Amino acid sequence: MNAVIFDIALTAYIVAALAALASLVWRRDGLLLLARELTVAGWLCHTAAIVLRGVERGRVPVLTLAEVVSLVIWVAVLLDLWVERRSGLTSLSAFVLPVVLALGLGLPTGLRDLALEPRASSPWILVHVALVLVGLAALVLNFGSAIMYLLQERQLKAKRTGTFYYRMPSLEALDRLTLMTLTAAFPFLTVGLALGFVRAGRAWGRDLLSDPLALFSLVMWLVYAATLCGRAIGHWHGRRAAYLSIAGFCVLLATLGAGVLFQGRHGS
Amino acid sequence: MIERLFVAGLSHRTAPIAVREQLVVDEDKLREILTGLVGRGTCAEVMILSTCNRIEVYGVAEVAGEARTAAFRQMAAQRGLELSELEPLLYAKDGTEAVQHTFRVSSSLDSMVLGEPQILGQVKDAFALAQSSRTVGPILHSLMSQAFAVAKRVRSDTQVGRHAVSVPFAAVELARKIFDGLAGRSVLLVGAGEMGELAARHLQDFGTLPIYVTNRTASRAQELARDLAGTAVPFADLVSVLGQVDIVITSTAAPELIVTARDVAAVLPARRGRPLFFIDIAVPRNVEAAVNNLDDVFVYDVDDLRSVVEANLRERQREAQRAEALVEREVEKFAERLRSLEVVPTIVSLREKLEEIRTTELSRALSRLPAADEATRQALEALSHGIVNKVLHAPTVKLRDSSKSGHGHRWIEVISELFGLGGKGRGAPRA
Repeated sequence: MNAVIFDIALTAYIVAALAALASLVWRRDGLLLLARELTVAGWLCHTAAIVLRGVERGRVPVLTLAEVVSLVIWVAVLLDLWVERRSGLTSLSAFVLPVVLALGLGLPTGLRDLALEPRASSPWILVHVALVLVGLAALVLNFGSAIMYLLQERQLKAKRTGTFYYRMPSLEALDRLTLMTLTAAFPFLTVGLALGFVRAGRAWGRDLLSDPLALFSLVMWLVYAATLCGRAIGHWHGRRAAYLSIAGFCVLLATLGAGVLFQGRHGS
Repeated sequence: MIERLFVAGLSHRTAPIAVREQLVVDEDKLREILTGLVGRGTCAEVMILSTCNRIEVYGVAEVAGEARTAAFRQMAAQRGLELSELEPLLYAKDGTEAVQHTFRVSSSLDSMVLGEPQILGQVKDAFALAQSSRTVGPILHSLMSQAFAVAKRVRSDTQVGRHAVSVPFAAVELARKIFDGLAGRSVLLVGAGEMGELAARHLQDFGTLPIYVTNRTASRAQELARDLAGTAVPFADLVSVLGQVDIVITSTAAPELIVTARDVAAVLPARRGRPLFFIDIAVPRNVEAAVNNLDDVFVYDVDDLRSVVEANLRERQREAQRAEALVEREVEKFAERLRSLEVVPTIVSLREKLEEIRTTELSRALSRLPAADEATRQALEALSHGIVNKVLHAPTVKLRDSSKSGHGHRWIEVISELFGLGGKGRGAPRA
């Protein structure tokens, strides 16, 4: 049942993403409104699917990689709606929703039935997962805004009023959003990962380093940490920061991929 | 009713400026023409829109041609122009076409610069003038208030008036694509070109401050700084000021570059990534093209700005198509409403006529039945009501339907004739 509702939510997200992109290309406010309403509807369905899954399995639904990715999407969509509402950056969803979809469409093919049940669902593991997934969701937005920054910067430098020119927010606003989402994601990610490492170090000992998910997470954390440091020092901003955000997100995707392909200790 | 509505006139599309300027008349004269047209009965209602791009008469008249001729003869006479000289330049529209024209004009779809905002105000002024001259009746009133509503919708629902169509405004728009809001940004104006000053003023309208002004001639810089409430800076300090400001407008007549990529590269580290926007309005250019290749620096020269303006114009044209569709729908709605109003007086007088017959006949019958009890009286009353309503039903429905399909006028005449309604219900009420 929860899978059916999840598919409905995903379908709503797909149509919303298409509408959001179309509103950007054809500059129609009606499409933007449609995208917004579908996103909200999809998110409500998604919420129902998550709750139902919890009820059906009789446990907190954050213990498999599929469930975690589903929750990352859920938080990312919520953040997207919130940021759009607060800052008026209405075109953000056109860049965030497709990423959400790429993640979501991965679920039925590879992730959905992948059992990554940890032996013990201790509360610490729940906290670890919850923190990491909030961080990941903010990074989805970080990626979306970085892409937008690069597109807008390119258009302004090339002096072309291309398709996206009219509906894009200002460069400064986009740069600030990239920084904001990264700054928001980083503490969650850091504490969440640290918690995981400490717990895993105690449980697995030296095997920790042979777990691909743990290893990739570390690389991802380093890339984002470097980006943030660079920004703080003041050398990396604008285009360079945007490229780094995108690089970080690629490692993030690789991390999720590693979790699927090599089960390692996380899966045992 | 709608058939008697007309618009006649000439505009930038049909008449050259040499003719249009001849027809400009002052307010008092317009008032005189308006009251004259209504006073002599040429028009039932009339208003005149007179701008530098169009002179048009909007009115309600039995014979539209007569009203048009009278109005333009008087306006032409002001400068000794003959009506025959104007005649080939005039266009005339009536009925739904006139409604459509009115809506298009007030929505700025017929303007020289598509989507320019002034026209609506001018139409409103013309309407106010006609109102104060007491030449506006119910038809023009509902036409114009609907036109204002349509213009407002066109402005809010389409983007026909959005996006800059002049070089200085395009520069401001670009600045807003780079900076998140212009309030508090500082501007450096180099040189005293007119377009540069205009761009600086537009930026000031968006709240940029402070403004620094520099010029090779120090006195000219001081003068301009005073005008713009800014600060004059020695020309030699130009490069150091680049480190502090956000937007630079250059419009000097200098034959050589005054800002090079090396100058700008030198100040970039101190800016710590704050974007820098050069608006180079000078020809030959004042800013080296390679400056645009530096990180966080954007250079737009006159050609770049013009191409932005052209793109914006294309954008407006695209939006105009949507606006036309919107106007089309509104014309349809308005025409239907006007037509449905047209048959109302006939329906009312038909009902009155039958009611009158009913009450007379009823009281006559009752007077012949002095012994009738209350129940009989009530039965007779109900019977008469029933007959009248049944008789009324078919013609009422016919009138309503015919008004929708645009044949109201014909049926008004037929039914008035059949029921002997006299002149009372025929046609529309006079304003």
